[in-house]
Amino acid sequence: MNIPITFYSYFKDLTGTNDIAIDLPEGSSIAELMDQIYSKFPKLKSMDRSTLIAVGVEYQDRAYALQPGDEVSLFPPVQGG
Amino acid sequence: MKRELTITTSRIDEALQTQSRDASSEAGAAITFSGIVRGTEESDSITAIDYEANEAMAKHQFEKIFDEIEKRWPIESVRLIHRIGLVKVNEPSLWVEVISGHRGEAFAACQWLIDEMKRVVPIWKHPVSD
Repeated sequence: MNIPITFYSYFKDLTGTNDIAIDLPEGSSIAELMDQIYSKFPKLKSMDRSTLIAVGVEYQDRAYALQPGDEVSLFPPVQGG
Repeated sequence: MKRELTITTSRIDEALQTQSRDASSEAGAAITFSGIVRGTEESDSITAIDYEANEAMAKHQFEKIFDEIEKRWPIESVRLIHRIGLVKVNEPSLWVEVISGHRGEAFAACQWLIDEMKRVVPIWKHPVSD
């Protein structure tokens, strides 16, 4: 399945792009997706502990099993207000 | 609980928002909060903040916050405006109004709303120095 990933805030600077797409076997976890992302963008790995992950409009943890059609967002801690 | 959420690039007219207050005869407290852009960010002088948002997710997370407020406190209405894009120093980036029967729940809900917003709503700041 093809999973689109959108980066926000300075994650765009760390990766040099606003978004990418990664092919994964159906049912792959977010943890497995993150491994693929970090192999492409090693600079992002330094932010791993503080990285927030969303699928669609909801936060998800790394055990979440991705499904076709899921859209992932990765971003640093939020700063509203 | 009535609720109104606006995410906009337009300037917030605080006076207009206050004039457009819609409170029932049961309301005894109307709390408003304006978050304004400070002239410093981590000790550096700035002229503005450029706010970025994952807009669809921000709207959804704000609605979840409103849902939780409705469960926790007897609140009559919540109105919230958050600007995105460029906001100059001293301008409001956030405006919140909470109306309830009594001040206790209004203050509590307003404080909790802002604290929770800063925890979960996907909006980020990019400081700007001319």
